[in-house]
Amino acid sequence: MREAGAGYLFVLPALVAFGVFVFYPLVKTAYLGFFTSPPAPNLPAHYVGVSQYSSVLRSSEFRDDLWRSVQFVLYTVPAGIVLGIALAVLANQRLAGIRIFRTVYSSTVATSTAVASVVFLTLLNPQIGLLNYWLGRQGGAGLLQSSSLALPAVSVVTIWQNIGFTFILMSAALQAVPDDLLEAARVDGASSWFRFRHVTIPLLSPMIFFAVIVGTIAGFQAFGQIDILTQGGPNNHTLVLIYDLYQQAFQYDNFGSAAVLSVSLFVILLVLTFAQFWYFQRRVFYAN
Amino acid sequence: MSGEDRGTEVHPVDAADDASVTLAAIVPLERAASSVSLEGVSKFYGDTPALVDLTLDARAGEFLVLLGPSGCGKTTVLRLVAGLEDPTSGVLRIGDRVVNDVDPKDRDVAMVFQSYALYPHLSVARNVEFPLRSRQVPGAERKKLVDEVARSLHLTELLDRKPAQLSGGQRQRVALARAIVRRPRAFLMDEPLSNLDAQLRVEMRAELVELHARLGITIMYVTHDQVEAMTMGDRVAVLNQGALQQLDTPVTVSDRPANSFVAGFVGSPPMNILRGRLTSAGDALAVSVAGGHLVLDEQAAAALRRRGLEEVVVGLRPDDLVVAPGGTLEAVVSLVEHVGQFQHVACRLPGGQLLWVRVPASSAGLRTSDGVRLSAEGSLHLFDPLTGARIDA
Repeated sequence: MREAGAGYLFVLPALVAFGVFVFYPLVKTAYLGFFTSPPAPNLPAHYVGVSQYSSVLRSSEFRDDLWRSVQFVLYTVPAGIVLGIALAVLANQRLAGIRIFRTVYSSTVATSTAVASVVFLTLLNPQIGLLNYWLGRQGGAGLLQSSSLALPAVSVVTIWQNIGFTFILMSAALQAVPDDLLEAARVDGASSWFRFRHVTIPLLSPMIFFAVIVGTIAGFQAFGQIDILTQGGPNNHTLVLIYDLYQQAFQYDNFGSAAVLSVSLFVILLVLTFAQFWYFQRRVFYAN
Repeated sequence: MSGEDRGTEVHPVDAADDASVTLAAIVPLERAASSVSLEGVSKFYGDTPALVDLTLDARAGEFLVLLGPSGCGKTTVLRLVAGLEDPTSGVLRIGDRVVNDVDPKDRDVAMVFQSYALYPHLSVARNVEFPLRSRQVPGAERKKLVDEVARSLHLTELLDRKPAQLSGGQRQRVALARAIVRRPRAFLMDEPLSNLDAQLRVEMRAELVELHARLGITIMYVTHDQVEAMTMGDRVAVLNQGALQQLDTPVTVSDRPANSFVAGFVGSPPMNILRGRLTSAGDALAVSVAGGHLVLDEQAAAALRRRGLEEVVVGLRPDDLVVAPGGTLEAVVSLVEHVGQFQHVACRLPGGQLLWVRVPASSAGLRTSDGVRLSAEGSLHLFDPLTGARIDA
């Protein structure tokens, strides 16, 4: 009994912190969703029950937001992981000066989203952007102003920004692959692709799984680059769920529908993460 | 090709055994056991020599053991043959083919690693079939070959398990199965039994010898355990510091060690090595060492006189020393080990050197700190004090 008491005492600080900053806001947000925001600040909010949930979630805007978020994740996560593995494999060679490349490849992890976004904003500027010039688009509309290319462009910036982190993850996992397994495979007659496909990749699978989960969550929550590069434009073509949520709350003072969006985002990520765990469980090999 | 043909003739597959017969039937004859040879091979890591001008060969169908202390370069030999490392100079041959520039996957050898190197994410069946899959053997044939080799190594019940669910001995057999399944030209085994407990090691030793006889395969087998070397090998190559010391049958290596290193390395306990000055004892020639002297017979004395040596290195087998009141060496017992029918007694000479003596377990109890006198009963092995080379009487 005394031991249990001491146990609760140890848990208490964490519980308080989580309660104040996570659990209370979560419940409060869900609760806010039952009220429509007043047309002007300082007027009382209206209790509308679940009707606001159903109207927001059934709206075509919500569906479009969600689809853009899903596209963004599909653009950024697989490509980021493939590139991260490719760079990790390159940097895993025993060559003189390879440390320089390792540092370069992992350097984006030390760049903030804001800095990376501003750099790319300049590079993609329709008038003075170097990238824009190289892509033969000088003078015309920039990539970020193109309705079809804005979301892919923001995705590319995101991939670039995340590559350092993915590279570090994959390098760590790659270095944990025992040499003798790869040597055994060489003697067993496996080509380098066969070794990579049937020995290296399976042994990287726990890290790939981790990167998929973390990348998906980060993708759904990517805000900074969109805010700086496009603000959801042009014509809502980069208006992902999280950015719509932000606009509803802090530009239109529509806290009611913002609350609905944030509860939906929470539930979507929760379900998605469980689904990914369920899917990957039988496909990932854990050494222990 | 003559070497390969010879291999299959020397070791015909045992027709009484179903599994091996079918295995042999599937694999074309020209892919059976090949010889493996190194000619003047050196390997340097930077300035550090790992192998120095090494020439040795495993004949087709032979069980060749590479024996030596750790760091002697024996594993490097296997890695060079497998193609995992490139020699700095010299020629590597598998069969009649020079393989210096051949990729490991095209050398057609199989390697059993000390760690077994089983693919942890694959089932036993998938592990065994890996070399076949990587060579694009069709599925139906793969299954047939895997089933056969699994049957012959008693792995059928384990085919669906993952390596982590196997015992050490079972993992060892899976590693062997993976090596055997495609009948390579030669097998390279790097201390394959060193991770097993003592009892299992004895069992697997017998199984490997039997497997070798049954399949007629060429095996290059690395070990630091001289019991394994003496019991398993057709021939033994003793290596030290990257150089070949002796390449001969276990009996010869044991009875006529080529130099003082081999003498001091082989045997359990190994031969005692003493350095002494030549003196005369009456009419005969003797070697005087701290604690006494050893009298040499006529032939040995003649051989030494011919060489005009003043000093000599003497090798004495523990079996050839006896505790006797009239012995010519004085020593103090420092340790008594009881091993089955024998006692191994370590006796310290006044100079500080230890001499191992093997006495029957039934003989009177010797205790630590007892003073004893020892005499040499059997033959003395003599070595040149400068080169360590054997001096034949």
